[in-house]
Amino acid sequence: MNSGGNNKITITSSTKNLSAVRNFVEHKAIELGFDSNIVNQIILSVDEACTNIIKYTHRFDENEKIEVKIDVRDREFRIILKYKGRDFDPNKMTEPDMNDYFNHFRVGGLGIPMMKKFMNKVEYNHKSPNQNSLTLVKII
Amino acid sequence: MEEFNIEIKNNGDIAKLYLNGFLDAHTSSELEKCFEKLIEENKYKVVVNFEKLSYISSAGLGVFMAYIETMRGNNGDIKLTNMTEKIYNIFDMLGFPILFEIYNEENTALEKFN
Repeated sequence: MNSGGNNKITITSSTKNLSAVRNFVEHKAIELGFDSNIVNQIILSVDEACTNIIKYTHRFDENEKIEVKIDVRDREFRIILKYKGRDFDPNKMTEPDMNDYFNHFRVGGLGIPMMKKFMNKVEYNHKSPNQNSLTLVKII
Repeated sequence: MEEFNIEIKNNGDIAKLYLNGFLDAHTSSELEKCFEKLIEENKYKVVVNFEKLSYISSAGLGVFMAYIETMRGNNGDIKLTNMTEKIYNIFDMLGFPILFEIYNEENTALEKFN
């Protein structure tokens, strides 16, 4: 993990680094005065976003990297993830019907619904060649 | 890296799992291994105590979903107890109380098995 100034860290794409991302985001969210319940929702959302990138975009390739940057402006706490890889917009994924989910003992697929429920906005942008940014926004 | 560990205690034919620390996509394999071991030993009645669990992500939730059918199919269950408000909120928000029995006290879960 490398710190790039106060508002940015870069991790190698591995689940072992999820805790470093959570700690970084938690510290910033507490500084801004979010209550502990909201802080937990924010760090969970970032964890879910990074987990999906590590598992599905980078397929656990530790040569890949994820940059996590925090930007606070216009009463918005913005967490911006930048990473290389295929085009995948979480907003285009259909959310599971939870009654069906439990009736059929489904596994997985809850990360994106959690992220969308907890954050005010989830913005995705794909630029060629394979440059992605995923921004999670919480209104302050 | 944040720690996660599981302490296992037996109470007759019921296995009690005490989760401690941070349960995420990195550490959830530890919990999977634990359930696999219980199944190998034909132990299908499980009480999971969350008192010392500080954090859970969807990867952790997925482990319970992955094993609940097997446990119930063998006359057992996975009953969840002693969650902090923070952890309960995550289970509740996704609707897990529809499928899982969640109790404040470990003893209540044990009694429900008997």
